[in-house]
Amino acid sequence: MADNKEKKGGSPVLIIIVVLVAASALGWWLYNGSSKSGSSGQRVPSPNSQAKPAATIPPNAPPGAQPPNQFGSPTAVVTIEEFADFQCGSCAVAFPILNEIKTMYGSRIHFIYRSFPLPMHDKSYDAAVGAEAAGMQGKFWEMHAQLFQNQKNWQASTNFRPVLEEYASKIGLNVEKFKQDMAELTAKKRVDDDIARAKALSINSTPTIFINGVQVAFTDVNVQGLKAIIDGEFAKQAASQSSNGAAPAAGNAANGQK
Amino acid sequence: MTEPVRRSFGSAWLKIAAAFIALFGLGDSVYLTAHHYSAEPVPCSITGGCEQVLTSEYAEIGGIPLALFGAVAYFAAFSLALLAYYGDRRSWTMFRTLAFLMAGFSGWLIYVQASVIGAFCQFCLLSALSSVLLALIAAGSVFVSENDRSV
Repeated sequence: MADNKEKKGGSPVLIIIVVLVAASALGWWLYNGSSKSGSSGQRVPSPNSQAKPAATIPPNAPPGAQPPNQFGSPTAVVTIEEFADFQCGSCAVAFPILNEIKTMYGSRIHFIYRSFPLPMHDKSYDAAVGAEAAGMQGKFWEMHAQLFQNQKNWQASTNFRPVLEEYASKIGLNVEKFKQDMAELTAKKRVDDDIARAKALSINSTPTIFINGVQVAFTDVNVQGLKAIIDGEFAKQAASQSSNGAAPAAGNAANGQK
Repeated sequence: MTEPVRRSFGSAWLKIAAAFIALFGLGDSVYLTAHHYSAEPVPCSITGGCEQVLTSEYAEIGGIPLALFGAVAYFAAFSLALLAYYGDRRSWTMFRTLAFLMAGFSGWLIYVQASVIGAFCQFCLLSALSSVLLALIAAGSVFVSENDRSV
C-alpha cells in the first residue's frame, strides 16, 4: 500500500459511456413506465402540512373571465376557485377529486374553473382555448372532462389541433364553429383574463385552489382535506347565522324582562 | 505507455466517493426528468410538496426542465471525478469548480422552495444533498495532497 503505483482496471472512457447509456436507458424506462401507468398514477397527496401560510384573494384582484366557467350556485355559501392547467399531471389527478366534491355538494357550492396554462406545457394554452371554444357552444365541462381524462393521449401528440377537433366532435359540438371560435379572439381573451387573475394572485403552480378566497394547501387537495375545509366553512356560516339570530332573541328577552 | 499515477489513498477514495455520489445525483435527476416529460406525479410521501415544486415556474429554464440540467451536471461531475481518479489532475480542478457551482445553485433552489413556493420536494432535496456532498469533497480534497504518500 506504500506504493501507490496502482493499476486501475477498465478504461474511464468506457465506464463513462456505460454510465451514459445506463442513465439514458433508465430515463427511457421510467418515462415509458410512467406513461403506461396511465391513471394508476393517481394518488391523493399525503396529508402532510408543510404548506406555506394560506394566501387570500385581495378584493382588487382582476376578476378573470366573466362569466367564469362555473358549476353549482353562484349564491352558495362556499365558493371553490380552481386554477389549473389541462396539461399538468397533478391537475389531472385533482380532476376526479374535484368531481367527487362537486357530486357530494351539488348546488350547495359554487365551483369556478380558471385556466392557468403554464409556459412549460406546449399544448396547455391551446387546450385552454379549446375548452373555452367548447364553452361558447355550452360544452365547456364536457371538453374539460375530455382533456383531463385523455391527457396521456394528447399531451404527447405532435399534432394537437386534430385531436381537439376529434374531442369536439365526440362531445357533439359543431366542429366548424369550434374551429372558428378557437381562431377568434373571444376564447383567447377569456383564457388571458384568467391568466391575468392567476398572475395577480402570484400563483406559480397548478392546481391552486381557493375556498372562499383562501388558498388551500396543496397537501389538502384530496377529498378528505377539501371536505374538511368546506364543512368548516358551512359550520362557520351556521355559527354566524345562529349568533345573529341569538342576539336579537336575547335582546327581545331582555326587553321583555323590563 | 502511460505514466503510472502517484496518488494518496485518501485522495483516490475522495474521487471514488465523488463519483458514486454523482451517480446517485444522476439517478435522482434522471428520475425527475422522466417524470417531468411524462407529466406523471411523483410519489411524495415525505415532504408532500413535490408537485407544487415540480410544476412551479421555477422548474424550467427556457422550456428545459431543471432536472435535465441536473442530470447533465451530475453526469459531468461523475465523468470528471472518474477521470481524476484515473490520474487526470485537470479533471479534478474542473470537478471542484463544477461542484461548487452545483452546490451554490442547489442552495438557491432550496431558498426558492422554502421562501417562494412554500413547499419542498424530497427528490430536489436529495439532489441538493448530493451536490453539497460533492462540494464538501471538493473542498476537503484541497487538504489532501495529491502526492501525499502517508498511507
